[in-house]
Amino acid sequence: MPRSLARMIGALALMALANTAVAADGRLYPSGPPNGVAYLRFVNLTSADVTVVSPAAKITIPSDDAHRAGEFDPVTPGVALTGSIQFGEATKPIDVTLQQNEFVTVAITGTADALQVTLLRETPTDFNALKTSLALFNLDQGCAKAQLLAGDQHLVVVSNVAPGSIGRRMVNPVDIGLAVSCGDAAQTVPVKLGGLVAGERYSVFVVGSGSTPQVMGQRDEQAPFRP
Amino acid sequence: MNAVLAGLAILVIGDSHMVTRDYLITTLHNDLMEQGATVYTYGMCGANAGDWVYPTTVSCGRAVRLDKGETMIDRRPSIPTWTVDALINEHHPNLIVIEMGDTMAGYGQAAFPQGWIYQQVHALTGRIAAKNIPCVWVGPPWGSEGSTYHKTFARVKEMSEFLATAVAPCKFIDSTQFSKPGDWPTIDGQHLTSSGYRAWGQDITAQLDQIAPQLVHRP
Repeated sequence: MPRSLARMIGALALMALANTAVAADGRLYPSGPPNGVAYLRFVNLTSADVTVVSPAAKITIPSDDAHRAGEFDPVTPGVALTGSIQFGEATKPIDVTLQQNEFVTVAITGTADALQVTLLRETPTDFNALKTSLALFNLDQGCAKAQLLAGDQHLVVVSNVAPGSIGRRMVNPVDIGLAVSCGDAAQTVPVKLGGLVAGERYSVFVVGSGSTPQVMGQRDEQAPFRP
Repeated sequence: MNAVLAGLAILVIGDSHMVTRDYLITTLHNDLMEQGATVYTYGMCGANAGDWVYPTTVSCGRAVRLDKGETMIDRRPSIPTWTVDALINEHHPNLIVIEMGDTMAGYGQAAFPQGWIYQQVHALTGRIAAKNIPCVWVGPPWGSEGSTYHKTFARVKEMSEFLATAVAPCKFIDSTQFSKPGDWPTIDGQHLTSSGYRAWGQDITAQLDQIAPQLVHRP
C-alpha cells in the first residue's frame, strides 16, 4: 500500500536521527509537536501499476481510482527522504526534504517511455470542520490555466492553475456538480467526487493533454501518528 | 440548581488539567454533579486528541473519577490510554465534554501546526459523531507567559480561534473569554492555581447550561 511506503521512508529517517530525535512512548515517529510534523503522499496518475522503492520497502501503487492515491502520511520534517519510482524499465529518483507543516504530493504521471515525477508542495492553512477544501492539482503541461468549475453556470471555484502547481479554495459543503476546464468553459470534463462533506478535503488531478484533459478526484485522507 | 443538566450522563475527558486533585477533575466534576448530572471524568496527562482514538500510552499520569467516587490517579511512567469508544460503550453518555488544547498548540514552535491539530481533532470528533452523541469542546485558558512550556497569549488566542472552526460538530467553549490574560495565575505557566480551577469549572458549567438545551434531546 502506498500509505505504508511513506511510513517506511519516515521510519528510515527516524533511524538516521536516532541519536537526536527520540519518539515519545509508544510512538513510532518523533513527529508532531514538539518535534514538528509534515505529510507526504504518493499518487499514481498513470494507467498502470508503478513501484515505489525506499531503502526500507518496495511497494506497488495500483492505478485504479480507488487505490491510486495514498494517505498523507506523517513524516519528520527537515530530513531527506530518498528512494525511487519504477515504471517498467524506467526509474526516477525520490529525494525530498519536507518543511515543517508542509504537505507534499508526489505525483507520478506519463508512461514507461516517458515517466514523470512531480512534487507538489503546499502548506495549507484552511483546515475547517464547517467548510470543504477543494484543491486542483494540474499535472497537464498542455493545460496552461486549469480551472475548477461548479454547477451548470460554470462558476469558477479555482482559477488559473499553472502546470505543476496547486490551486485551493474553501467552499460550503453543498451538493453541486464540478468540472475542470483548460480555459475554454465550453470544453469541460466532469469531476466525480460525490457530495461534498463539511470538514473534508478533496483533491482533483488534471492529467493528459490540454485539448482532452483527464480528471481524477478523491477525498484526502490523513494518516494518524500510529504504525 | 439549574434543571438543564439534571439527569444527564456526562462524560468529561481532558488533558493534564484533569489529572490532579483540585484541578477540573474536582471543580468541574463537582459543579456538574451539583447541577444534577451523573459525571464520569477521565484525564490523561500530555494526551493529544488522537490519543483518545488510537491506543497508545501516556507518560505523566492519568486520572479517573466516576460519579460520586473518589479521584483515582495513576502516576506510573507508562500507562495505556483510554479510548473514547470504550468509554462511550461503558457509560452511554448523552453529552461528552472535551477539554483539550494546550497539548496540541505547538507552544515553542514558530509555526502553528494547523494540519496536525486538525487531524487530531477530526479523528476524535469523528468517533463521537459516529455515535451521534452531542459534544462540547473546551479550549485552553490563557495561562502565563515565560515558562518552560513556552505558552504565549498570542498562541493561545491562535489556538482558540482555530479550534472554534475545527471542532464541529462539537460546540466550542472559548476559555479565553472567561478571563483576561494574566487574570488567572498559574503554578508553572500552564496549570492554574486552585482558585483558577474553581473559576474555570464554574465558567464551563455556566456555558454548558446555555449550550446543553440546543444539543441534548431528552426523550
